[in-house]
Amino acid sequence: MRLLIVEDDPDLQSVLVRSARKEGYSVDAASDGEEGLYKAESTDYDAIVLDMMLPVLDGWEVLSRLRKTKPTPVLILTARDRSADRVRGLDIGADDYLVKPFDTPELFARLRAIIRRGARQARVVLELGEVCIDTAARNVTRAGKPVTLTAREYVVLEYLALHRGKVTSRTTLYEHLFDEEESTLSNILDVHIYNLRKKLGQEFIITRRGHGYCIE
Amino acid sequence: MRYFQSIRWRLQIWHGLLLVTVLAGFGAAIYRVERDRQFHQLDEELQHRLQVLAASRRPVPGAHPPRQGFRLMPEHAALFDQSGGSGYFYVVWLHSSPGPIYSSTAPRDVPMPESSKAAGMRERGTIREAFLIPAPDDCLLVGHYFEKDLAGLHHLAWWLGVAGGGVVLLGLIGGALLVHRALKPVRDISDAAQKIATGDLTQRIPGSASGSELGQLVHVLNSTFARLDAAFTQQAHFTADAAHELRTPVSVMLAEAQYGIASPCENSDHHEVFAASERAANRMRRLIDSLLKLARLDAGQEPPERHPCDLAGITAECIEGIRPLAEARSIFIHTEASSVICACDADQIAQVITNLLSNAIHYNVDSGEVHVSLKHGNGVVRLEVYNTGPGISADDLPHIFDRFYRADKARSGSSGRTGLGLAIAKAIVQAHGGTIEVKSEPGQGATFSIMLPS
Repeated sequence: MRLLIVEDDPDLQSVLVRSARKEGYSVDAASDGEEGLYKAESTDYDAIVLDMMLPVLDGWEVLSRLRKTKPTPVLILTARDRSADRVRGLDIGADDYLVKPFDTPELFARLRAIIRRGARQARVVLELGEVCIDTAARNVTRAGKPVTLTAREYVVLEYLALHRGKVTSRTTLYEHLFDEEESTLSNILDVHIYNLRKKLGQEFIITRRGHGYCIE
Repeated sequence: MRYFQSIRWRLQIWHGLLLVTVLAGFGAAIYRVERDRQFHQLDEELQHRLQVLAASRRPVPGAHPPRQGFRLMPEHAALFDQSGGSGYFYVVWLHSSPGPIYSSTAPRDVPMPESSKAAGMRERGTIREAFLIPAPDDCLLVGHYFEKDLAGLHHLAWWLGVAGGGVVLLGLIGGALLVHRALKPVRDISDAAQKIATGDLTQRIPGSASGSELGQLVHVLNSTFARLDAAFTQQAHFTADAAHELRTPVSVMLAEAQYGIASPCENSDHHEVFAASERAANRMRRLIDSLLKLARLDAGQEPPERHPCDLAGITAECIEGIRPLAEARSIFIHTEASSVICACDADQIAQVITNLLSNAIHYNVDSGEVHVSLKHGNGVVRLEVYNTGPGISADDLPHIFDRFYRADKARSGSSGRTGLGLAIAKAIVQAHGGTIEVKSEPGQGATFSIMLPS
């Protein structure tokens, strides 16, 4: 999953980015509204964490402009906690609202929820044949037995599972799994897919030649 | 207001006394003048008739030796001959006649005046007499009954009294109205000050009074109220701003701490550092929320949204929420609640109840008890929370609802307590028009009671 964090306070941005990476997300960051809007419009993120008080362009502006072109799930992070502000934020197009200071586990739980909704997956635990993926606990079992996956492998699996039934192109997978800072080896994806097949079954992930991968 | 301290009544009384005094004096003067005038006129009439009598005493023609006789000319008879008791009469004593000569209306028992003076006046009861003594043993006397005159004067006096009374009454009524209108600005000021005292700092005294002498006072008061209002608003803003400013640094701290805790740590010291930071940051987070809540309640920016709520249901929910804490210390919660519908803000009241329950558990002994009761009657709902435990000392009791007051000074915010819970509870209860109180004795636990209008 790829995340965009738009926050102007450098310390807070830093800890958010690091925490998100630890959770297994690929993370891009922006320090003002203009940069944030540009990145959000150029890339399909799985979710955006948006601070409301931003220089150049404030959070309200970024959100309302973004909503003209993209349905990306957005969680607003802000110091304003009045009901009127919450209502306004949600009505402009935010998917969720969290007040600073926030509880980090809660932030990520809410992000998972809006990502699930964005992918139109209602359930937290995804059952795909023998394989069971608990997206909240981030663990995978096969026929009841736990399966160990690396962080990257889990992320690939989760993305395909959330978009099951649809073919995901390699390009999309690259976009959602790697952020700007990483230099990617073009076949790293193949390695992950190979390992996943090894652990979960060869037929688990289907290759559609020329189009991409898919989980049925 | 006691009558003798009221400006209004004092003005009325003095006004009334003044009116009565002036009118009484005036009336008395009129009466006196009229009386004097009447008697003066009476005396003139008497003297006139006396002259006539004197002229009617002449020597009798052809009498030897010469002697004085009395003969009234016919044209003068009319002066003495009025029937009824208000006429004039004469009595004449002559040396030459054996007894007095009476006019037709004269009483027959008139004593002869003493001859020490040649002329004089006297009064006998309601008869006024003027007499003349031209020679020894001769006396001329004219008299007049003045009962009717007196009756006339009394009549005048009575009418003066009635008219005076009427004027006094009118004067008092008019005076009352004037006083009422004059004191209206004072009442306006008093009303506005009353409203301000009960917390509505936006009140100002209406300008209708500002043209008069009280104008200066009104102006000063209004500007004082404006300054008070600004000061309170500023203070509320300050608290809100302070809390607001803390948000981002606390967010950083909390997030860093949680990040550190989440990572696999080599040694437990590192973990404790982060754990402590997380606790501190969480404490600050709760403090910020409480401070902001209080600031808003103070400024009246969060008036309770009152809907009819089932208080018994809300209480039960709060008890369920607190049950894990109670069970951790084996504390048993008794409930005795009748179903009560009360117009209140469910969220805010739930906060109050949860706070009281949380205190009841925290300041309790293991395996202790908490009793919750909910009653209503006479338009008042009463919720009581009693807990066993060490209770509250008499020194602490009056301060228990103060902000940041903690009875146990050693505990300073650990275990998640901000010291603001009861202050917030009190503010919420008061915003609902209710009261909150506490009874406790050391060693006997404590009982918190909330009264709300239903």
